[in-house]
Amino acid sequence: MNALAPASTTAAAKIQVRDLRFFYGARESLKNISIDFLEHQITAIIGPSGCGKSTLLRALNRIYDLYPGQRAEGEVLLNGENILSPGVNVAYVRRRVGMVFQKPTPFPLSIRDNITFALGHFERLSKPDMADRVEEALRQAALWDEVKDVLGRSALSLSGGQQQRLSIARTLAIRPQVILLDEPTSALDPLSTNKIEELLDKLVRQFTVIIVTHNLQQAARASQRTVFMYDGEIVEAGVTEEMFMSPRERRTADYISGRFG
Amino acid sequence: MNLLILRRKLFDVVMIALSLGATAFTLFWLAWILWTTITQGASALRLTIFTQMTPPPGSDGGLLNAFFGSFMMVLLGVVVATPIGVLAAIYLAEYKRGTRVAAVIGFVNDILLSAPSIVIGLFIYELLVLPFGHFSGYAGGVALAMIMLPIVVRSSAVALELVPPETREAALALGLPRWKVTLSVIARAARPGIITGLLLGVARISGETAPLLFTALNNQYWNANLGAPMANIPVVIFQYAMSPYDNWHALAWAGAFIVMLFVLMLGIVTRVVFRQGARA
Repeated sequence: MNALAPASTTAAAKIQVRDLRFFYGARESLKNISIDFLEHQITAIIGPSGCGKSTLLRALNRIYDLYPGQRAEGEVLLNGENILSPGVNVAYVRRRVGMVFQKPTPFPLSIRDNITFALGHFERLSKPDMADRVEEALRQAALWDEVKDVLGRSALSLSGGQQQRLSIARTLAIRPQVILLDEPTSALDPLSTNKIEELLDKLVRQFTVIIVTHNLQQAARASQRTVFMYDGEIVEAGVTEEMFMSPRERRTADYISGRFG
Repeated sequence: MNLLILRRKLFDVVMIALSLGATAFTLFWLAWILWTTITQGASALRLTIFTQMTPPPGSDGGLLNAFFGSFMMVLLGVVVATPIGVLAAIYLAEYKRGTRVAAVIGFVNDILLSAPSIVIGLFIYELLVLPFGHFSGYAGGVALAMIMLPIVVRSSAVALELVPPETREAALALGLPRWKVTLSVIARAARPGIITGLLLGVARISGETAPLLFTALNNQYWNANLGAPMANIPVVIFQYAMSPYDNWHALAWAGAFIVMLFVLMLGIVTRVVFRQGARA
């Protein structure tokens, strides 16, 4: 733990959000958000339902672009480059900022093809290289031992927890810089949840991880920094331990002690 | 109090009896049609149906040229309607979902879906028969395609819309271009539904008579040239059933029986495909 304190103060900001406002049609669901997400740290975003935490996450890789009524104002700087600018190559942003969703999202392909599908699009790899990358990704996602003999089987035949780890492996395979996770364990059993939390702990050495969660224990256990959101605004952000031990704001204290939310 | 319960129970029994009666009424006619077709058709079946051409009055023959013509024109219809229909569905469901454009096009498509097939036959007659001065297999195939097209558009669009949005988002979140996501992930996930729609479309056009009457007409002889009038099962059934000759009647029954079997088989295949898709 003591290794954390210096890291949290000296780590560089991987993503800087500046005056971000987000609209679903006319409804403003993020109001002037400014926050830094630090490199090689797990940041948990917590808050009651509808507070905008998923919306914030979805602005960080512009996945909201898919829906015509949604738009963002302000700046989201990835390595100092504003990814909200009109001229930005959105596909390239998403390749660097991967995302894992609440529900496992296996593609209707084989386990292997779920991983090679995107990888093959970005990189020209020989067959053995491709096989190595598949193994590497599945090992990183702690799924290799369970599926190494059935890589040709449909991904839909896996259990929910395995599907979720496959979704993570698929994201890792293309070597992103940041991984966004939107309540990745809320549909999973405790055992699978545990596996994914252990996984995050390893991943953060290579990646920057941002996780939205409803589960306060998860935030306390798995993250180095925590952001508490309420009604489209950031109430408090800081080192996870400090925030859970001695929150500065009353609303934070109320929320983490279970008085609302 | 007791009376009230009794009245409700009575009402319940009457309603169930009425709905059962309505079901039985519907099934009765269907069973009758099937039974007649099966008995008449099966007894008229013989091998020569598949080896000989449609006969002139008074002599024996088969339906070979009509089967072949139907096959060719249905094939042409499928080849034309499938790519256009699936691409249109992708445009509507993937690129314009929820927009006014999609709503308007979808509505027009539904009108086309329920347009009387004779109108489509006349339309193609104006378009592909009159200018060339003769009936042709091409005109027949295009008329069938026109009937199949809205079925493919509607069923494919529904199948695409049923793909969970998370799947689409997950694929796009990997940084893949939209076209790749649509073709490799979304269309793939929707494939059982799309194939089901295609099979239903084939079932529908393989029995269509009116559009072929004005386009392919008929041909008493073997003809593999789509540029010329072509024999086909529905029109042969129509013509032979109206004739005064017993052997023509028998051939019409046999043709009807085989078309029915074919559609039944398509229905079964459709269910198998869809169930496999749901399981996969």
